[in-house]
Amino acid sequence: MSAKNSVNISFSVNGENFDDVTVPTRQHLADYLRSQGLTGTHLGCEQGACGACTIEMDGVAVRSCLVLASQANGSSITTVEGFDDEVMQKVKNNFLKHNAFQCGFCSPGMLMTTKEIISSKKKLSRDEIRSEISGNYCRCTGYQSIVDAIEETINEIN
Amino acid sequence: MKAPDFSYFEAQNIEDAIKYKSEDDEAVILAGGQSLLPALNMRLSSPSCLIDISKINNLNEIKIEGDFINIGALATHSDVMNNDLVHEKLPCLVDILKMVAHAAIRNKGTHGGSIAYGDPAAELPAFAVAMNAEIVLSGLSGQRIVNAKDFYLGLFETDLKSDEILIAIRYPLLDVNQHLIFDEVCRRHGDYAMAGLMAKVELDQSKINNLDLVYFATGDKPNVGQNTAKLVIDDGYDYEKLKKSLASEIDFAGDLNSSSEMKLHLATILINKILNKLER
Repeated sequence: MSAKNSVNISFSVNGENFDDVTVPTRQHLADYLRSQGLTGTHLGCEQGACGACTIEMDGVAVRSCLVLASQANGSSITTVEGFDDEVMQKVKNNFLKHNAFQCGFCSPGMLMTTKEIISSKKKLSRDEIRSEISGNYCRCTGYQSIVDAIEETINEIN
Repeated sequence: MKAPDFSYFEAQNIEDAIKYKSEDDEAVILAGGQSLLPALNMRLSSPSCLIDISKINNLNEIKIEGDFINIGALATHSDVMNNDLVHEKLPCLVDILKMVAHAAIRNKGTHGGSIAYGDPAAELPAFAVAMNAEIVLSGLSGQRIVNAKDFYLGLFETDLKSDEILIAIRYPLLDVNQHLIFDEVCRRHGDYAMAGLMAKVELDQSKINNLDLVYFATGDKPNVGQNTAKLVIDDGYDYEKLKKSLASEIDFAGDLNSSSEMKLHLATILINKILNKLER
C-alpha cells in the first residue's frame, strides 16, 4: 500500500489497447492522449469550462482535462479520431453543409457532445439542443450553424 | 495550467482509504474530481497525494432506508438524475442537478464529492442543509452521522476529520405538506450562481407553517436566514424589511461576478421568486 508519482495503467483508445503504459500521476488524460499523437482532442481552458477536450469514457461524455490519466485504468475511451462510423459521416456532412466548423478549435468537443446527444435517439427541440451544448464554448460564436447541423442530423437519423 | 506534482493511491476498499488518509494529513480524497481537478489545474490546491476512491464497489447505491433516501457518495450526478427512486421520492433534486454544470461534468462528478468539497457556491451543500440531511462519515473508529447543518464550518471547511471519508448522504423523505423549492440567478446556464436559495416550506392549507431559507453563493458556506424566514411567515414579502434582516444575519461576500451588495439584493428578490413559485 504505497503511493507513487507515476503509475502503470492499461486501457483502450479507439479500439487500440494501451497495455501497462507508465503515466505521471499529475498528467491529465487529454495531455496523455495528445502526447500519443491523438491531437484531435483540444485543450482550451483546462478547468472544465470550455468543453473542447470532451471525449467518451466507458460510453459517456467526460472532460478529459478533468480526468487524470491514472483514472483511466481499465477503461475504454473514444476520441474524435475514433468517431468515424456512418453516423459520424452524417454529422460531418451536416457540419460542413451548415458551415459549423469555423476556426475548428471547438469542433472536436462539439462533435463528441453531438455523439452523446444523438445516441439518446431523442427528437430534441432547438432549445433543448442549445441546452445540451451549453457546456461547449465556440469562440467564433457560430452556435446558430452548429445547432442547425445537429438538428438536421437528428432529423435524419430518427 | 497543469496540476502540481502529487502521488496517487488507488484504494480498493474504504478501510485502505481511511488508513492511508489517517497517515497523511496532506492527502486528499479523489472521487469524480470535477471540482478537485480544476482546483489542481489552477494550482489553488497542492495535496501530497490523491487517494482515488472511485473504484471502490457499492459506494454508489441509491436506496430507501426507513424514512430516508440514502445516496451513496460515489453516485454521479447523472446516476442520481436518472434514478427512479429519486424521481419518485425526491423529484426536486433532479431539477436542482440540471443546474449543476453540464452533462459531461455530471457524468463524472459525484454527489458525495460535491457535499464533501463544500464549495459555498455549489447547490448540493445548501440543498443538504435545507433538507436537514444526515451525512454519513466513516473513520478509524467506525461510522458517525453529522447533520448537514453542523457539517459546514467555513470556506471549504467541514467537520470531516483527517481519518474520515464521506460515504453516504441520507435525506429525510418529505411529507405531502412539505416542499423544497429552489431558484438561483446565474449568468449562463450551468455556471456557478451569483446567488441561489433553497427553501424548505411546510404548508398548512395554503398558509406557510414553517420555512427554512438556505442560501448558496452568498458567503463562506451555506447561509441560513433564520430570522428572515420568520419575517416571511409573519408579514409576507417586504423587500426593504427582508433585505435589512438578511444583511444583519448573513455576512455576504462578493466575488468576480457580483459584489456583496448585489448578492444581498439577489438574495432578497429570490424570496419573492420562491413565494411566486409556491403560489403556482
